Amino acid sequence: MKNAKKSLLVLSTVALSGSLLLTGCGSNGNNAQENQSANQTSNQASNQTGNAAATTTPEVKEKVTLDFWAHWGSTTRRPIIEKIVSDFNASQDHIHVNYSFQPFGEGWTKELAAVAAGNPPDVIIQDIFTVGQRAAKKQATNLSEYINQDPSIKDRFFPQLWDASLYNNEPYALPFNTDTRFLYYSKKAFQEAGLDPNSPPKTWDELLADAQKLDKLNGKRIERLGFYPDDWGLFLDNADGKLMMDKNGPNFNSPAKIDALNWVMSFNERLGKSNVDTFKATFGSKQNDPFVVGKLGMTIQTGTYFAQIKDFMNPDDIGYAPVPEMKAGSGNWTYGGGFVLEIPYGAKHPAESFEFMKYMTDVAAQKYWSQYLFDNVANQAAANDPELSTNNPVSKFATDNMKWTLVSPVPNNAPDYTSVSNPNIESALAGKTDAKTALDKAQSAVQDLMDSNK
Amino acid sequence: MSSATTGNARSYFESRRTGERIRKTIMFLLLAGAGLVFVVPFWWMISTSLKTMDDIMQYPPAFIPKHWHFQNYLETWTSIDFPRFTLNSLTIATIGVVGHVISNTFVAYGFAKIKFRGRNLMFSIVLSTMIIPGFVTLIPQYILFAKIHWVGTYLPLTVPGFFGNAFQIFLLRQFFLGIPNDLIEAAKIDGANHFYIWRRIMVPLAKPAVITIALTTFQGAWNDFLGPVIYLNKESTYTLQIALQMFKASSGLSQWHYLMAGSVIVLLPIVVMFFVFQKFFIEGMNISSGTKG
Repeated sequence: MKNAKKSLLVLSTVALSGSLLLTGCGSNGNNAQENQSANQTSNQASNQTGNAAATTTPEVKEKVTLDFWAHWGSTTRRPIIEKIVSDFNASQDHIHVNYSFQPFGEGWTKELAAVAAGNPPDVIIQDIFTVGQRAAKKQATNLSEYINQDPSIKDRFFPQLWDASLYNNEPYALPFNTDTRFLYYSKKAFQEAGLDPNSPPKTWDELLADAQKLDKLNGKRIERLGFYPDDWGLFLDNADGKLMMDKNGPNFNSPAKIDALNWVMSFNERLGKSNVDTFKATFGSKQNDPFVVGKLGMTIQTGTYFAQIKDFMNPDDIGYAPVPEMKAGSGNWTYGGGFVLEIPYGAKHPAESFEFMKYMTDVAAQKYWSQYLFDNVANQAAANDPELSTNNPVSKFATDNMKWTLVSPVPNNAPDYTSVSNPNIESALAGKTDAKTALDKAQSAVQDLMDSNK
Repeated sequence: MSSATTGNARSYFESRRTGERIRKTIMFLLLAGAGLVFVVPFWWMISTSLKTMDDIMQYPPAFIPKHWHFQNYLETWTSIDFPRFTLNSLTIATIGVVGHVISNTFVAYGFAKIKFRGRNLMFSIVLSTMIIPGFVTLIPQYILFAKIHWVGTYLPLTVPGFFGNAFQIFLLRQFFLGIPNDLIEAAKIDGANHFYIWRRIMVPLAKPAVITIALTTFQGAWNDFLGPVIYLNKESTYTLQIALQMFKASSGLSQWHYLMAGSVIVLLPIVVMFFVFQKFFIEGMNISSGTKG
């Protein structure tokens, strides 16, 4: 009996000390706040003592610690963001920023939970398309108050990116980076096929003609494809310079978009869908890229793609050009996206957070980011800096391509519209229905979704 | 030919033996084929972990790396704070194992061997918690932990383990039911109390079941991604599963060689543990399937 009691005592001691140890181990964001409130209390206390002694103590500005969340953790991106943050910290005696990597996508779910529980981070990198959704649901802080103090800030950004950061004409985010898509082509393959390596296709007709010349078919087996419009949405956007979905609603079934879908479908008809599928399946793992390994003559990619070209190909063998236009004069339209900086709703130090966001979107930080990551940045002055072109020949081109880049938020009542529109379009691509029927159905499905969520 | 002279009996046995051999061969081939299906992705992971990024980009992809690039492991280990993340994962998993083993054997003993009013009702209530999906309780639980300032610490990941797990209670109870009551009676006559019986008789006798729950708990905590990702904010507290995500790119090219080398490192302890404890593990798992009624 005695023995058993002793054991129970030992066990409970272990359990208790274990949990104490855990509490000690678990350093957290709250600690900073706790320390701060402890400082505040001690400051108040010392102020009171000061008052009691009838002396005036000068107001000491406390250092504010900000938590900054983003999804950049790889050995290429992480050093760059850490350098920007440490430069900011060095320039400050009032604010200190701690950077935390959060897994891509999961960090946003985590932010949602943290906002609901009232302990969000101070600044977060978020998706540009969904700013309005977070604004409407009170997950992001309205930045009007800070922008009004310095209205010139909005002129920093490409106008379409700034527009995407507004909700009811009020800003809820500052754009950080963006992307734009254009045509990369292999000059070597062009030469081999008897095409002029300095004359990339300008229209869809030329694109198709060049692609056919570049195709290497061995019976049913595809040895090399000239081009394949895998990103069919881009061609639908390009056709009439209007996104399939913009802030005003769906634009799926315009005559130009119907023609565009027919054009995309003609690739499957010409090459045979199963042959194309077999070809695509070879690269399904995404570990290797058909353009990089010379199995694709032309591809449409973002500016950042140049990093892969630089690492795995000879950049001199590669040419680039705007996305060909549907017809001469219809425009080299493409779509873009990007990330923004936001202050989650309920964050404790919005003024200091905004200060950091201003730094992140200013020329120095933006230029540094672009220079090392070949990324398109949101700040126009930084993007146009001639120095960027020295180690990245694509930089200037990608910046100029922004004029053809459409970026628009998705309406709040149809955040998940692709789940109703895409199945229709995919059934046309699978040869089960015609382009017009598919796009009409997509249009009405999205419209219905928006109406039902009004 | 010779069978014609040696009689029917011999030919009968020989044909039976041949039949047996054919059956075994087919069985062997089927099992080997199935085994191969499981091994291929595993090999692909190891093979990618030993390639350079250039080799990974090669087409057609090589099943066996041209150059065995063992530095990948060293680079993976040093490019992020692997020792720290390993220690963090180990801490959470070990505390989880201790918590689960203590609380679940304790509760299961009560349900299996102590008669008290409302026992069956309480056991049904415990079991019924199994049908509530974890995602349903995720948000209320998060808000609760946030309110008591546990978010950002290991407490939300470890403390709940000390409060029982329905499936493990069920598994252990079934195991305990198979241990004769005579042992308990004898111990009681010798003056032992329930705590002593639980600690000195029941838990040692239920070794296979205890090891099974320890292993599954360890594996669960080691592989848990959602829990740590939601509750931990500071990078120094991150676990291996979150750390692996660092090699994945949101856009552009993922660092496959590091990602795979990291995955092999993370997987290794689980594989080793399974081989060491597989005898107990299989015995323990049989309890849950073989104790109907």
